[in-house]
Amino acid sequence: MAWTSQQSARLRLEMEILERYFPSFYLKDSIIPGRACVEGIIRSNSGAEYVVRLHVPADLPNSVPDLEIVSPFLHDRFGHSLVELGTSYPMHLLKPEGGLVRICHYSASHWNPNITFAKVLLKIRAWVEGYEGHIETGFPIDHFLPHMQA
Amino acid sequence: MEPIVYVLDEQVRDLLTHLTSAGTLEEGVAFGFDDWTVFHAYTEKPFTTPSGIVCPCFAVRADTAGMVDETRLTSSVRARTDLSERPAVVLVVDTHSDGTPQCRALIVSHSKMAAADTRFVPRRSELYSRNAGLLETSALAAKKVVVVGLGSGGSPVALDLARAGVGQFTLIDFDRLELGNISRHVCGINDLGRYKTLAVRDQILQKNPYASVTTMEVNINQALAPVEEAVAKCDLLIVASDNDQSRFNLNQMSLNHNRTALYGRAITRAAGGDVLRVRPWTGPCYNCVFSSGLIDGREEEMSQKRQALAVLPAYVEEDKANAMIQVGLSSDIAPIANMMVKIALLELSRGQETGISTLDEDLKADFYIWANRREEAYAAWPLMNYKWTRPSILRWYGARVERDPQCLVCGGHLKADTPLQGIVQ
Ligand SMILES: [Zn+2]
Repeated sequence: MAWTSQQSARLRLEMEILERYFPSFYLKDSIIPGRACVEGIIRSNSGAEYVVRLHVPADLPNSVPDLEIVSPFLHDRFGHSLVELGTSYPMHLLKPEGGLVRICHYSASHWNPNITFAKVLLKIRAWVEGYEGHIETGFPIDHFLPHMQA
Repeated sequence: MEPIVYVLDEQVRDLLTHLTSAGTLEEGVAFGFDDWTVFHAYTEKPFTTPSGIVCPCFAVRADTAGMVDETRLTSSVRARTDLSERPAVVLVVDTHSDGTPQCRALIVSHSKMAAADTRFVPRRSELYSRNAGLLETSALAAKKVVVVGLGSGGSPVALDLARAGVGQFTLIDFDRLELGNISRHVCGINDLGRYKTLAVRDQILQKNPYASVTTMEVNINQALAPVEEAVAKCDLLIVASDNDQSRFNLNQMSLNHNRTALYGRAITRAAGGDVLRVRPWTGPCYNCVFSSGLIDGREEEMSQKRQALAVLPAYVEEDKANAMIQVGLSSDIAPIANMMVKIALLELSRGQETGISTLDEDLKADFYIWANRREEAYAAWPLMNYKWTRPSILRWYGARVERDPQCLVCGGHLKADTPLQGIVQ
């Protein structure tokens, strides 16, 4: 299987938008649908850097991309690893995969093909601030970042 | 009353070509009903799931004078099978002097033998001749429809299209028929556990034995290439699946191959529903309408746990998924399915003068809304009473929806055939 011509064109559009708003992001394994991902750095207001990986869905742009934090290894305020925390509603976390934290950004019922990678990364940018707010105050992330209606 | 035996015209023709010598018994199978007053006899494997009680069946060719020795025939049938519990059907086949096939049936029990009234199940041309005033039946027989989702919405649509004479179907679904589906599905308890595709195929063949039906038991979101291949070959795509991801994927395929698509769905507990027709590149696409806010994924009727779990974040407990399963009545789904069938027949008959052509002048809109009850999205609607000049339940409303110039699927924002290499680092 290969990308269709629309998907290739969409990937190009996604990368053009990222170049403007998240210029550190680049495409990896781009020719293999299901394996391709976009990786780059998100910097919080405090200056901390998070390496973020977005998995490009094989049916791009029709389903929610999986999104994980590659580094640093994240802990909560109380020293527990976020990976071990597993699926967590208050922390906006999905089931971790391959030892990496997965972030719940858009749910399937809120997804549509007009949502670009840049919009997803904006949500991750907000999650990162929520995470640092949690570290500082002990409040769960959803104290800073309300949930979308299920 | 003489017992009645139904035989398929085409099976008798086949029998006449390979039963060359008189007297040889060919085995088949028959199904008896209602104290052995009605039988369906087959000399080849039935093309569809039969009902009734299984009975032995034999076929034999008459001699050149058109005769059979009934005493010898009866005793050889009794020697071949035990008739203490049920009778056997014996078909005596022959050709008329004009070459048309002839068949008479005998019912042989352990104690007696009686002649039956034999009737042919006709060939295609006769089966749908009564629709001819309204529809161009020969044209419909050649039309190919892909139906995605064979649940309470898709199954009646597929069946009604077969009843109208549509001749070619590709049915796509990977669900099996479960107890909870039965009350709203065209298939019954005798199909429990079967793939919905195969069970609906059998129902289609009951209505149109000459339909050509292929099935695909796949999750379309994980089998994009074969599904797209089927879409590319169809005349009309009917989408009655239960999740937006599949509709987005099918929308892309319908645009890729310029195939008209119909989308139908019910909202929570089938309080109402909507039907969307997508005429690729001339009208709005599924994504244009979705982002206009007219369709909202959250409102969709949840009829199965799998469906609820797919749209809920992983941290939602099973209880919540179970609570989301709220189904409507079959009679609430029926109007939505019926509208899809009407638009489908209109689209399949396009370009021909038919009895339903005036419908085309009425159905200008691409998006239609129906309310069954004043609840959910329709809670504020005025009472139906005797007024017909304001919105009311149980009526169709066409909505004008334009193409969305911002649509990332059909809005022309993608530069075709741009090589990926340039963006790889
Ligand atoms: Zn569109």
